[in-house]
Amino acid sequence: MSKQAANGPHPRREPRLSGPLSLARLEEVFSGCVDFSKREVFLHGDSQRKAAVCYIDGQARSERLNDYVLRPLAQDPMLAAVPESQLFELMERGALYAHGAKRLTDLDPVASALINGSCALFLEGRDDCLVFPVATEEKRSVGEPENEPALKGARDSFVESLRTNTSLVRRRLRAPELKIREHIVGRQSLTPVDVLWIDGIADPDTVALLEGRLDQIDIDGVEAAGSLEEYLVDAARSPFPLMPYTQRPDRFCQGLLEGRVGLFADGIPLGWLLPGTIDQFFKTGQDRAYHWLAASAISAIRWLCALITLLVPGLYIALVTFHPEAIPPKLALSIVAAKQEVPFSTIFEVLIMLLAFEVIQEAGLRLPGPIGATVSILGGLVVGNAAVDAHIVSPAVLIAVAIAGVAGYTMPSQDFGNALRLWRFLLAILASLGGLFGLALGCAGLIYHLAGLESFGVPYLAPFTTGTRVPRGHPSLFRLPLPMMKWRDGPIRTQNRRNQR
Amino acid sequence: MKKHLFPWLAACLLLAGCSGLPTAREMGDMALLRTLGVDPSPAGVAVTGSTGPRAKGLQGEGEAALTLSADQASLSAACLAMQAQTDSFVFFGYVDQLLVGQALAEEGVRPVLDYFARNAELGLGAQLWLVRGAAARDALSAGGERGLDARLETLGNDSEMGIANLTRTAGEVYTDLLELGSAYVPALSPAGEGGAVLTERGYGVLKGGVLAGFLEGEAAKGLELLAGGPAADIIEAELAGAKVSVKTASARTESALAFQGGEPSALKLTCRIEARLSEYRERPAGQALAALQTELARRERDRLETALSQLRAMGADCAGLGAKAGMFCPARWQAVQADWPEWFSRVPLEITVEVEIL
Repeated sequence: MSKQAANGPHPRREPRLSGPLSLARLEEVFSGCVDFSKREVFLHGDSQRKAAVCYIDGQARSERLNDYVLRPLAQDPMLAAVPESQLFELMERGALYAHGAKRLTDLDPVASALINGSCALFLEGRDDCLVFPVATEEKRSVGEPENEPALKGARDSFVESLRTNTSLVRRRLRAPELKIREHIVGRQSLTPVDVLWIDGIADPDTVALLEGRLDQIDIDGVEAAGSLEEYLVDAARSPFPLMPYTQRPDRFCQGLLEGRVGLFADGIPLGWLLPGTIDQFFKTGQDRAYHWLAASAISAIRWLCALITLLVPGLYIALVTFHPEAIPPKLALSIVAAKQEVPFSTIFEVLIMLLAFEVIQEAGLRLPGPIGATVSILGGLVVGNAAVDAHIVSPAVLIAVAIAGVAGYTMPSQDFGNALRLWRFLLAILASLGGLFGLALGCAGLIYHLAGLESFGVPYLAPFTTGTRVPRGHPSLFRLPLPMMKWRDGPIRTQNRRNQR
Repeated sequence: MKKHLFPWLAACLLLAGCSGLPTAREMGDMALLRTLGVDPSPAGVAVTGSTGPRAKGLQGEGEAALTLSADQASLSAACLAMQAQTDSFVFFGYVDQLLVGQALAEEGVRPVLDYFARNAELGLGAQLWLVRGAAARDALSAGGERGLDARLETLGNDSEMGIANLTRTAGEVYTDLLELGSAYVPALSPAGEGGAVLTERGYGVLKGGVLAGFLEGEAAKGLELLAGGPAADIIEAELAGAKVSVKTASARTESALAFQGGEPSALKLTCRIEARLSEYRERPAGQALAALQTELARRERDRLETALSQLRAMGADCAGLGAKAGMFCPARWQAVQADWPEWFSRVPLEITVEVEIL
């Protein structure tokens, strides 16, 4: 093979395994697979009538295989009595106790079925087989959403099993209009990815667009959330997330009811809601659980905290190094007193402290729980206090960076918080170049950047920037009383805008 | 490639310092001047600045106020000369108090106010004080290690609460000089041993930027009534053999001009005063209360007349009585506005005082 051919994209074979089905060929396909198993059985002890059952150990559940397939094969006298020509049909119609049975004649679907936990039954002298689902259901049980804790509301969360996740949604949205369509993504992983929407509410164009993009994904495997996110939206040019996700079924269902399109991937315990607009990253599952006044106040605080975490370090640099006259005199005097013995410039101090904050946070995350907490305390309190005592940093810088850091933790979306952290650095650098002018320039750049983003054809800033002909939804900064929230958001092009009488 | 060329070029220029952006200045090595005094000097002008008490580091003990002074031909030259007198960068952006010596006020304060108005760091937000009978430099030096800013700040806060003389910012005085041609400025005078304490000494009246005279005592109280901001004032009165004390709470003076044949024939002033009984044996009511109101009105009227007689003698309507009255008859006011200082000196006055005891 030439070097160019080796580096080029490998051809995508459909079907993966071509040719006729036979037991020998199946064994050939799974040669070298230690978990492939074959069990030969005499039908009711008749050595003239022999069946072979193939399955993947670990994928198939032993009890089901033994009780519902192997036991009837070995003990049912009827199977020994019927003519061989009717034997297969009899098994397909109920002689074996599986909830499904399918006769297959091609190699490729049989291999896929075995990998998904079915067993394949071959009879001597026949080239077709019967496939019975006996998959194991070992999976993590539904637990509490760790990233989105609920104080007042449901406590279940999505798990790695795709079908469990769809059932959690189906239990909440019992209308048959809830549609679920499956796509397979990944050449090697063959990961099932489900698209969910409510017919009559969601925009069919968005559904079609999402399905089209899913079908175009040609990667080896879906091993992380980014494997879908970065292929479905143009995420490369922006640190801001364009696909909001949730672990909570109640919030996911709320998104579907708003007219958004849901997305699940097997093995990833969360669900995406599309299209994503900026206000989605400021909402929590609890917003509708609390009184509207409390929810509105908390929502406003979150937006305020986003500004604080973004601007405070840059603002501090700009005021202290370029515009000291804007600082109240008494605060200025204390800053001067604190700065006198610090050898570093304010710009260096702030940038180093921002970096140190990130380092401590990252160290705390990577270590096991109790050690992580110890590192945070050591790093945050002891080292911070010692640095101030040793006049390495001034206390005002420490306070400014800490306020910015803590305010960032109020973001319900970790992805959005990460984007703000990156922009915080950029704005601090711009402020150190040009003071308030640089900071204002950075803010203008940020707004320009956000205004240029789109998620599935919907502007990212849609809640604030919809055109005059696009019907708006309800305020994004506040939550109105629920009886007054009669409209679904206009920009997401829902088919039915009214959500209540 | 061309698409990315401009941002890269701009970034390189910025990082190379070729940006024209403001220069960063660390606050740690700044001396923040809080009080500035200006006097005339043989060289031209004498400027004195004081930082007020400073802290030396977080754990350091308090450091004495830094006082700098320079005599130069111009204010800007003097400020520049002060930069060279200390290791710190002298920053004028926190000057909250501006002291003007009496000698400079007699020569004219306009050049100082012009400089403050045009200087980006100083601005016109500083409170303006007139040092009566002394130089601003002497007053600042008398502040010693503690400086003067704490004392002046206290006077400012007291004024806001109505328990000290009215304060005025440089901007207010500058505006009055430009619009009315005259302005009043609170006056201070060094007192105590070595002149270490500044005490209130009424108001200086500037006409055309030059000191025209002082109002003190009852005249100063009258000016406060005209300006609508009476400092808390206790008036004692005898009422049927019993002593009653009354505290002035607020006052509002309205003015109106009467015209005859296109010329002002009378300036009508109506002063409405609200007062509270502060000390009494039995709360006066009925006729006793009416008598008390009459007595208070008489006293306040005397104050107003005293203040107005002095202001009319100076030809300085620094309370803006004519301008306020002119708002109700703009066409007629326009005709007399230019000659108003003369009219103000000779137009008959009709003063009405209404006192309400709460």
